[in-house]
Amino acid sequence: MTSVAFTDIVAHPLLPAEHDRDTAGFFAAARRGELVLRFCTACDQVLHLPRQACFACGGNESEWRPVPGRGHLYAWTVVTHQVHPAFAVPYTVVVVDVDGQPDGTRLVGRLAGEPVLTAGQPMRVRFDRAEDGTVVPNWEPGD
Amino acid sequence: MTGYSHRDRCAITGIGATEFSKDSGRSELTLATEAARAALADAGLTVADVDGVVSCDHDLVSYSGIAESLGIPDLTYWGQTGPGGSGPCAMVGQAVAAILSGQATTVLVYRALNGRSGRRFGQGTPDPAARVGGQGGYEEFFAPYGLVTPGQFFALLAQRHMATYGTRHEALAHIAVACREAANRNPAAQMHDRVLTLEECAIARPISLPLRLFDFCLETDGACAVIVTAAERAADSPHPAVLVRAVTQSTGPRVQPGVMYPMLQRPDVTVTPSATAARTLFSRAGLGPSDVDVAQFYDCFTITVLLQLEDFGFCAKGEGGPFAESGALRRGGSLPSNTAGGNMSEGYVHGMNHVLEGVRQLRGTSTSQVEGAEVSLVTSAPPPGTSALLLVKG
Ligand SMILES: [Zn+2]
Repeated sequence: MTSVAFTDIVAHPLLPAEHDRDTAGFFAAARRGELVLRFCTACDQVLHLPRQACFACGGNESEWRPVPGRGHLYAWTVVTHQVHPAFAVPYTVVVVDVDGQPDGTRLVGRLAGEPVLTAGQPMRVRFDRAEDGTVVPNWEPGD
Repeated sequence: MTGYSHRDRCAITGIGATEFSKDSGRSELTLATEAARAALADAGLTVADVDGVVSCDHDLVSYSGIAESLGIPDLTYWGQTGPGGSGPCAMVGQAVAAILSGQATTVLVYRALNGRSGRRFGQGTPDPAARVGGQGGYEEFFAPYGLVTPGQFFALLAQRHMATYGTRHEALAHIAVACREAANRNPAAQMHDRVLTLEECAIARPISLPLRLFDFCLETDGACAVIVTAAERAADSPHPAVLVRAVTQSTGPRVQPGVMYPMLQRPDVTVTPSATAARTLFSRAGLGPSDVDVAQFYDCFTITVLLQLEDFGFCAKGEGGPFAESGALRRGGSLPSNTAGGNMSEGYVHGMNHVLEGVRQLRGTSTSQVEGAEVSLVTSAPPPGTSALLLVKG
């Protein structure tokens, strides 16, 4: 990684826990501007959502590996009814298939407003950085 | 059938409910007690007969709370399952297991909630000041993006189904209207006096598109209870016997952790654990979808019903839309469903009200009675796991 573009945001409404033993590596990498997923060291099975033990081979060693921050749009919803004070409506929740991974390897993002979206369109990762340095990988349309 | 069979060996002999309202004015314990007493009276039994209790993991009323409130002399079995709306059919299943293993003879199964005046679901629970996630629930992958309510989750499933299969919102409206029409015939339903049209569904206030207001269930204060006994004891009941033909729980493969949002990682989100539940349920029952005369589908949202229509095999995957639009779920349709109004229009008692209506259909006492109904399907919510129940006339 040479130059990572962070998108500085004034405030992030809900910041993720960064110290869970199974998921912390995801957010630690995000602070470096890297998108990582967890893989079984023995059989290369992607373990997502992140956990240590491998259901495919029974292995107990896993590691974080960088993946290209590219994906395709799997599903979305335009939220128009505000239920949580931290999220002003309208906004759009996107669910993205991470490129090159098995079906079901998906990450979530949030776009402001009601952008025009198409099923399967290319998406790219964006690193949203909060004032305190926490970084949340987000997704936006783009190759 | 290999292994142990519970087929037709237990019965639901009593059903009871409180009124369904927006503000009960009393505690969940009071509601549970009232519903339990009603179910016992309906079964022709007394508190002294009860030796087992099964509750829902979301319930504020504990087994000891209901035992104390009713004055049960001695509980020899108590159990609990869920999560939440996935529970009711599995709770009956747990009662069956307790009875057939000799741990209890008369099991009270209940669900009580002040879902409107008390703790409301779907309000987005995280504290804005706190970090979200950790503890194995994986909320940190969802909540920071504003994915914080079940309605938003099911909207994603609906959008994917629409994009994949061309399903129209009108199909969801048909489900909401079928529930409402049943409620309009049911004096006990919260929406008894409120007519709902397809047009109103189409232009209703958007909540989390593609879902609109009438794609959401109600919020209800109320309680429901049933009494489960061995089948041979059903003869002592004042009502026609209603047997548990089969019951199952199911996670399906790759269930995913947590309660809801992680299911977005399943390979195809339009397939729910109801697909594997249906396979097991029909196999245990020796029956198939075409044998079902009437169904009570768990309906937290309209899309939840549509997905189950496909997963239970009433139509092919992707054809839930045209099936619903054909009017199949309405009175006189090929699969009359949610005949008391369901969570959408009768009341949200987390699907326990569905069990009661499944029993009424076999007693012949539903306000939307399906003539000659002999096989009655009841389902509890997917995801993450789910449960389902097939009832037959004794
Ligand atoms: Zn492995």
